[in-house]
Formats: sequence, C-alpha cells, structure tokens
Amino acid sequence: MNTKLKVSEISKIYPGCIANDKVSLEFGSGKIYALLGENGAGKSTLVKILSGVVKPDEGEVFLNNESIKLNSPLDAKKNNIGMVFQHFNLFETLSVFENLSIDSDKKDEELRALVNDILKKYNFKIDLDIPVLNLSAGQKQKVEIIRCLIRNPKVLIMDEPTSVLTEQETDDLFISLKQFSKDGILIIYITHKLKEVLSLCDEVAVMRKGKVVSVSNTIDEKIESLANKMVGENLNTIKKKINNFKNSEEILKISNLNFKSDDPYETNLNNLNLSLKKGECLGIAGISGNGQNELFQILSGEIIIEGTSIMFRNKEIAKLNPRERREYLMAFSPEDRISQAAVPELKIYENVALNNFKSSNFFEKGLVNEKKIKEHSKKILSNFSVNTDNVELKSQFLSGGNLQKLIIGRELITSPELLVCFNPTWGLDVGAINYIHETLIQINEQGKSSILISTDNDELLKLSDRICVIYKGKLSKIMNADTVTAEKLGILMGGGSID
Amino acid sequence: MIKVEKRNNVSRSIYFLTPVLAIFLTLFGGGIIFFILGFNPIEALKFFFITPISDLYGLSELLVKATPLCLIAIGLSFCFKSNNWNIGAEGQLIFGGIVGGGVALIFYNHDGFYVLPIIILSGAIGGMLFAMIPAILKTYFNTNEILVSLMLVYVAKLLLDYLVVGPWSNPEGFNFPETRQFSEPARMPILFDGLRIHAGIFITLITVFLSWIILYKTYLGFQIKVSGLSLKTAKYAGFKGKTMIIIVFMISGACAGLAGVGEITGPIGQLHRNISPDYGFTAIIVAFLGRLNPIGIIFASLIVALTYLGAETAQIFLQVPKYTGQVFQGMILFFLLGSDYLLFFKIKFLGLKKNEL
Repeated sequence: MNTKLKVSEISKIYPGCIANDKVSLEFGSGKIYALLGENGAGKSTLVKILSGVVKPDEGEVFLNNESIKLNSPLDAKKNNIGMVFQHFNLFETLSVFENLSIDSDKKDEELRALVNDILKKYNFKIDLDIPVLNLSAGQKQKVEIIRCLIRNPKVLIMDEPTSVLTEQETDDLFISLKQFSKDGILIIYITHKLKEVLSLCDEVAVMRKGKVVSVSNTIDEKIESLANKMVGENLNTIKKKINNFKNSEEILKISNLNFKSDDPYETNLNNLNLSLKKGECLGIAGISGNGQNELFQILSGEIIIEGTSIMFRNKEIAKLNPRERREYLMAFSPEDRISQAAVPELKIYENVALNNFKSSNFFEKGLVNEKKIKEHSKKILSNFSVNTDNVELKSQFLSGGNLQKLIIGRELITSPELLVCFNPTWGLDVGAINYIHETLIQINEQGKSSILISTDNDELLKLSDRICVIYKGKLSKIMNADTVTAEKLGILMGGGSID
Repeated sequence: MIKVEKRNNVSRSIYFLTPVLAIFLTLFGGGIIFFILGFNPIEALKFFFITPISDLYGLSELLVKATPLCLIAIGLSFCFKSNNWNIGAEGQLIFGGIVGGGVALIFYNHDGFYVLPIIILSGAIGGMLFAMIPAILKTYFNTNEILVSLMLVYVAKLLLDYLVVGPWSNPEGFNFPETRQFSEPARMPILFDGLRIHAGIFITLITVFLSWIILYKTYLGFQIKVSGLSLKTAKYAGFKGKTMIIIVFMISGACAGLAGVGEITGPIGQLHRNISPDYGFTAIIVAFLGRLNPIGIIFASLIVALTYLGAETAQIFLQVPKYTGQVFQGMILFFLLGSDYLLFFKIKFLGLKKNEL
C-alpha cells in the first residue's frame, strides 16, 4: 500500500504573524520525514492543519492525489491520519484499555484482541488493565501510539515526541518508528533536535519564519549544515560594542544550582553556574522548553530552592521573594506579557503598582497612594514613549509593543542594577523591537547589568557581551559574544557540542 | 438568523445589568411555575414579592433577613475576589453562634454594658477561627478548600446539636433541644418598639463601609484584586500568597461569625438547632448577584431576603411549601450564570439570507 501525502501552497496568517507562507511539501510512505525548525518557525501550525485542528487560509492537502478537507480532528481520523501530540491526552485515572476503548467503536473483545496483536507485533510491554497514572512517560506515549495504530493509519505524525522521554525510551521509540515505516506507514517527525533528525529520518524539511527553506536527504546533511539552515545566516550587522569586563566588579554569582521539579512538563536544571559583571549583558540562548522558564523564575524569586546560594552585590538573596529582590535593585521582565508581567483587565497605573518597593511609597501604612502611583506612571509613559498619556486606560487596549514598553519602563525607572528579561521582543513589530533593543543597550552603557534569556539568536548576538546556551536544563560554557556565530549557537541549541 | 459573536471587552454597564436581567427572568420563570401549579401568576407573584413588604412590619422583617445575608456575602466577596472558594460560611456562622452563645450563657443573669460587645467579639473570633481551618489546610497541605469548608458545615451543625441537647440545654426546659433564653444585657437592642429590626444592621453597614475601603483603597485590596485576576502575576509581584489566603478566610469567617452572633442575640435570643435558614449558603448567591461589589451586595441581599419573606406569605396565602423560596433562590443563581454568557458574547440578529433557507 503506497501512501502519498502532499500539501500545496498552504498559508495561514495570524494577526501580526504569518505562520505558514505558501508551504508546499510532498511525502511518500516507506520513509521517515523530519520537519525541523525553531520555535515559531511554523511547524506546529502545519501539523495542526494536517490533523484538522486549524483550518488553513489558503492551500490544499492531497492524500493519494485526492484533495481532502480537514475541518476537524474527526476528518483527519477518517482519512487515516494519526497524530501523537507532545502533551498526552489520556485520562489518568482510567485504565489503559478504557482509554483505548473510549476512542473506538469496536466491541471490547474485538478491540482487546486487536490491541494484543499490536502489543505482540511491536514488542510493547504494557499492562492494559492498570490506570494510566501508573505508567512512565514512555509508556503513556506508547498508549497514544497504539490509539493511532488501532485505526490502521496511513500517516502518523509525531510532535516533538522525545521531549518527555529518557534516552532509553527514545531509543525504543526510534526502533518502533522504523518498524512502522517498514510496514508502510508514512511518518512525519517534528523536532528541533538535530541529532534525532540524523539518526532517525530519511528526508528533512527545514522551516524558518513560516517558509520551507530546504528539503534534502539526511545522508547529505551534517549537524552544522542543518543548524545553519534552521537558524539562518541573515544576521543583523548592527552589533553592540563588546566590552571587556575582566576587571569589573562581579554583581551576580550562582554556583552549583540544581532544581528538580515535580511537574513532568517542567525542566530540571542541573549544576548551573553563572556569574555576571557590572555593566555586562549575558545572553542565554536555547530552544524554548529547555529550562528557560525555570531559570527565569529562579532568578526572579518565583521559585525558591532550599539550600542554594545566589549572591547579588555580595548579599545572599536566594531566600527572597520577587518583591524583596526588587528592594536590592533587581528588576524582571517575564516572557508572558499578558498574564504574568501585566494584567490586561487592570488600568495602566494599577499595573505600574505591581512593581512595588519600599522607596516608591506606592502604599503608605497599607493604604493606596493613588496620586503617587499615577504621577510615577505618567513619568513612565513619557520616558518610555508609550503612545498614550492616560494612566486610567485599561492595559488591554495597549498594543503588544506599547505594553512591553510600559513593562520595561516600569522595571527600569527604578534604576535597577540588574534587569533579567525573557524574550522581551517576542511578537513585536520592528519599530518596537528596535526601541527595546536600544533601551537594553543603553542600560549597559550606564553601567547596569542585564541577563537576556531569548530564543531569538539575532537578538542575542546583537545585545550580548557573553553568550551561553541552555539545553535540557544544562548551561553550555559561557563564550565571549565576538567568538560566537549563529552556526555555533545552532549546534549547541540542537544538543551538539563544539570543540 | 441569529449570530453569536465574542465580545472584545466587557462593558461596565453590561456587567451590572445582567444581574437585573437575571432577576426579571427569575420572575418570569416563577410566574410559569405558579401557572403550572394552577395559580394566577400575576396574583401569586404579588403575594410573593409585594404583599410581604407592604407594611412597616414587613419592611422591618426584610431588613432582619437582609442583615445576616449582606454581612456574610461581604465577607465571602473577599474570598471569591481572590480565587478562594469558601463555601462553608454556614458552618462559620454556626460556629460563631456557638462561641457567642456560649459566652452569652456564661454571662447569664450578668449585668453590664460590656456584656454584649464581648459576646459579639467572641462570635466573630469563633467564625474566624473556624474559617482558618480550611485556609491553613489549603496553604500548608494543598487540600481543596471547597471540600474542607463544606464538610466543616456539618461538623458545626452536629456540634451545635450536641450542645443544645446535652451540656448546654436549658435546665428548666423540659428537655427541649435549646439553651436558656439569654438575659437582656446579652441581647441586641431593638431599634423600634414592636418591630424585630435590631442593632445588628449597624454592624452590617459598618462592615460594608470598611470592606469598601479595604477592597479599593488598601494594599491588601490591591493584592486581592491582582490574585483574583492572575495568580501568576501575584507570584511575580511577590505577594505573600499564603498569608493572603489566610487573611481573606479570616475576614470571611469573622463576617459569618458576626452574622451568627447577630441572629442568636437578635431575633432568636437563645441557641437551638436551627439558628440559620441556610443564610451561609444563600449568601453565596447574594455575593455573586451583587457582583462581589459592596454596594451591589446591599441590593442583592434585599432582593434575596425578599424570597425568604415571599415564601412565608406564599405558604400562608397560597398553601405552597415555604421551600418555594429556595426554588426562587436557585432560579436567580441559574439565570445569573446563564446571563453571564452575555458578558463574553453578544447576540446579533441578522436578516435571513436566501441561500441559508
């Protein structure tokens, strides 16, 4: 049975962002295809279109030369397209078999015989009658895969399947996938891990900024060449003057920090060491989900780990919460503008009051000093050129760029010694991006330090004095920015190593 | 055809108009129910909502019922605004009543201006301590406050049962399940001769005023507001989450305790099994009908109090059970939740298009 899947001129436009720009790709059964790209490259959108979750604005999908309409996940199932998402969709308290039978219209005995056949054929070892919550992540994923196999899929799409797996489980998964491929199932494998592409896949399509930039056989590729394609070489040449901070005062030091989370979707951090000099910008690159979130929260004090040491300007701050850290002149700009850094339903001046510290006198004897907060807010609006002067405006009416200016302004107007920011220009237009970048360069020139956690390599290379990469909760060695190239970053981000 | 569209932002007028719409729908639904039961709906609704408050005594009764409802709902608004689901106000009311009642029994036949304030204060503290149980379990052991606070209601009810039947029962009471009548200095002063309205209404009004100040003018109120909108932001701003949970439960419990002590030292004058006709549960409806806003809650408490009175008149004149009152309360909540749909969606009436026929 030969299966051919073709997407033709698929476009999907979200407000302010072209997720898929005339994407055309062809797949045929018997091969494993990799879809490679950074976050936001458009992989997920394409996969959602193939699985019927998202409707494309333009373009068509052909299965065996017939145009098919995928208006809902049900349509995808009817067309024998199976999908295993990164996050599992299983009922934890139900047994494995119950989870499988919910989705199936077969009789129980029939289904059980079929599932047992699948288990035997692919050598899966799963007890069908224990609750799903007792399974490991790898086993849960197998349940999801079995759920697809029951329906005799022609196409199986795997979305970043190894992000929750151990090395051993990953090896097992690869063996199974190769077997499926031999049995004639067309496999599309979404990933940003370069090594996996080389060890598993036959063909690789690289996406960047919504477009397919290359399609090639993996035999012809190396980690370096893929990294180049994934990250892109069109770097901005406007770069900050890199300074030498050897003799400057050290303002932040973290040594041997470990973080272990109870949540399987969070990343553990291992043996993290970093130090920061006065006036320096340290860039932390990485593909999102490699521990950036956790690192940011540890720096801001949202996560407090017992028994670690974080020295800031020679004071121990590891046990302090974000508000207390602000008293020591730290400032934080989180990635999530609209549900963390600010609340859309609050007025501008109320959002300003979130950054409350003793000397601000926003709250005196527990009472709100509205006049003071409003004066302070007016100052932020004008100093950071937010396009309104109405502090009573609800923040939801600000554009992303203006909201980010407000947040950065709120954090910087107190002249902090250290600003930690996480993807500060995510989703903004060019004008706002330039403004934020200039501001970040400016604070370094004033002798203030910054840590820039970002998934945008152009930004990192433009603003950082030193750069390191975070991968699976580990930091690479910290390099001087002038010795770093996009290619090197790409290799480290994909889990490779350099020299 | 009719088209439903998502609203971009919620306007303030819609926010306060939907409760009014819910009340009208309740009246309409009530009319239908009365019609099915074989009554003239207009007449029946008149008995239910107009007759009870057509004289001075009726108005006084309305305020007597609204006093505890408003007080509890105000307390609950602190919890609900900050995403803490305290639904055990009934238990906190009863426990406040028990503690206040116990102190009143200690002061039996005791004279002095200080007696009543001490009783009121101990009732508030009783409710507060009882509310701290779910709060502390939530903050330190990650339990679900809905379940814990709800189950504690039954603990308080059974404790009250035990006390009025056993150790605290009236020695001269022929084994009726009730305590002695409290002596005069332990009773809430009556405001007008012949009417039951008592000084507890001032406690309620002062509480409304204070909570308005706390919610809108203090750092605590700001923290409550932010936590209710986004817990992530509250964490990022460095608010002490655990302390805040305990504080809102304490405020809420104290209000319910005050309501309880107001009932037993006011209209009831002793402890017995049924010191509250589920005021603690009904106040949840009041809080939401009033949009968790102190002024809104005052109006909501009057409307819901009217369903209690209406049920009594309907029982007398129409011979329907007084539980009709609960039917109306249920309908108010049902229609309120239903009309909240309009907060987020707007309905557009479009002309019929040919190709859609």
